[in-house]
Amino acid sequence: MEWQLWVIETLRRALVYGTPILLGTLGEIYAERSGILNLGVEGMMILGAFVGFTTAFVTKNPWLGFLAGAFVGGAASLLHGFLSIHLRVIQVVSGLALTLFGLGLTGVLGRGWEGQPLKASIAELSVPGLSRIPVLGPILFTDQNLLVYIGIGLAVLLWWVLFKTSWGITVRSVGEDPRTADALGINVALVRYCCTFIGGLLAGLGGAYLSIVYRPSWTQGMTAGMGWIVIALTIFSLWHPLVAIGGSYAFGSLFYLSFRLQPWVAPELLTIMPYLFTILAPLLLHASRRLRRRMGAPGALGLPYRREEE
Amino acid sequence: MKKAVLFALCLVFLLTGAIGLQAQDKLKVGFIYVGPIGDMGWTHAHEVARRIVEDTFPWVETVYQESVPEAKVEGVIDRMVRRERCAVVFTTSFGFWEGTVAAAKKYPDTIFAHCSGFMRAPNLATYMADFYQIYYLNGLMAGALTKSNKVGYVGAFPIPEVKRHINAFTMGVREVNPKAEVHVRWIEAWFDPAKAKEATNSLIDAGCDVFAFTEDSDTVVQVAAENRMPVFGHYSPMYNSAPDYVVSGQLVHWENFYLDFLSKVHAGYYTSKNLENVDYWDLLKEGSVEVGAKFGMPVNPKWKSRLGKTYDLVMERIAQMSDFQMVFDPFTGPIYSRKGAVVVPVGVRANYGHLLSLEYAVKGVVGSWPGEPK
Repeated sequence: MEWQLWVIETLRRALVYGTPILLGTLGEIYAERSGILNLGVEGMMILGAFVGFTTAFVTKNPWLGFLAGAFVGGAASLLHGFLSIHLRVIQVVSGLALTLFGLGLTGVLGRGWEGQPLKASIAELSVPGLSRIPVLGPILFTDQNLLVYIGIGLAVLLWWVLFKTSWGITVRSVGEDPRTADALGINVALVRYCCTFIGGLLAGLGGAYLSIVYRPSWTQGMTAGMGWIVIALTIFSLWHPLVAIGGSYAFGSLFYLSFRLQPWVAPELLTIMPYLFTILAPLLLHASRRLRRRMGAPGALGLPYRREEE
Repeated sequence: MKKAVLFALCLVFLLTGAIGLQAQDKLKVGFIYVGPIGDMGWTHAHEVARRIVEDTFPWVETVYQESVPEAKVEGVIDRMVRRERCAVVFTTSFGFWEGTVAAAKKYPDTIFAHCSGFMRAPNLATYMADFYQIYYLNGLMAGALTKSNKVGYVGAFPIPEVKRHINAFTMGVREVNPKAEVHVRWIEAWFDPAKAKEATNSLIDAGCDVFAFTEDSDTVVQVAAENRMPVFGHYSPMYNSAPDYVVSGQLVHWENFYLDFLSKVHAGYYTSKNLENVDYWDLLKEGSVEVGAKFGMPVNPKWKSRLGKTYDLVMERIAQMSDFQMVFDPFTGPIYSRKGAVVVPVGVRANYGHLLSLEYAVKGVVGSWPGEPK
């Protein structure tokens, strides 16, 4: 059946392309839930992509590459954390600085690595049995890479932590009202550092995915604006990890369809489609009353916290 | 003590003076790039040529500036002319034309050359090494290799240059395989690996099994190789990215132009007064472009037997187009647009102006085609 084939092809590609976006979005959700707006996602992703690639290239082990990429993303996020939590710099500025820093540094360091194919990518695998389920089998369980499952698994895990554990409440309360949280004896700075670090780890992992799995090679500027999509999708997902799954894969589907539909629809219109979606979707969600109540950004998002006695 | 200081100062002045004098003996040449020199395409190719120029001519000294935004080129030219004292400035992107034309007016004694442009002045020449003949040759091979009769093409922007290349490619495909179609996807970017990847995947899903492209990375090559399908490299030698699947590709020798132009400047043949009609339009016969998976390998030996008779045809066409008289050119009539109009009449060879402003799609091109004439 023709339409079934279309659904399968589109969703397969959506999973592959949407995974780094999902990883980045999950991380940014944590950072923002704790009140830290990190516009440095693009920078952390490209750092993760570069370090992940070089590590996998040298050690011939993609998993070390993922680890190194995530770690570098995390380290870079601590820079933003130090500036915005400790020094209370305007978060927009320090995040933008991180993006520019990441793009610039990897551009200089990456010269010699350009165009070298990575032999040590991870294998695609099929799940026996499950791959024979109609429609769902070919999408999810045939020749998919492990990171796709890790991404979805992480989304569920992070949702559970954020909404079902006491540490999740701590994170959310720090993001909503750090003063009250502080009065309750919560170490606001520590929670924010942790969440920013999680954000960096996941952005770095997403970047490493790009250079190790998605396109196993290094190219300057290869994130090509994905970090900004992540920031838009964080808002679209209402800062909710499970909604982020839908958002990321919807964006991935539209991205693929913008090429698949070209023989019938003008390419200019199609190329803006995924981006239009990230703008329009929050607006549409906003129209729903029930969602609007839940939707508001974390109360203290982007605001540095300062104790009164200081 | 005072004397010693004075002596040292004198020495410093003398030395710097000497260095200054020495530097003035050299012809100082500035290169302005639109992209990073590390890309796998356009800017990298110019940078390779710049290094060859510097190694070849001991009397040339070069400076360059990479990743210059198109709107900021004038400021960079100012710096190169005033501070660096460049006598010749090359601006290597179409979008630099306004800034270059303005600068040429401002600095009438400096020689400018603008790549891929069309506006000239007494001190401003234009130059271009075009790939359409190479794309045609790649098309011949693609036509022979496709089994599904669907060839995929990932295009950057729907502008005359890219359209010319796709048309030439398609004419090659159809010459060998009249039933084959060339399916086109636009990504609206010169460089965007993710878009190139999904565009290629969408072409694979649409049934294509051979690929060519215009994008400044080797993404399309990678995706094709993953799916075990033949592909043609673009701009850089991409053989090493996938030695089993890169059949051939388009390669450039910008140094060919730079060496020629600068030696004529050095000889006093080109000055800042006589460039009004100097326009290089370099094709195979000038040696500025080359067909190949990498330099010196027109066809990947692994694919030679699969090409069969077409291999001989490719070699014959290379010889014909490399001939000084250019006894063959793909843009020779009759050529029909896919809307059925005669765009080049029987026996006529499309001229330079026609090729430069071409908007139509020839028969065999499938896919949307922004700006297509009615």
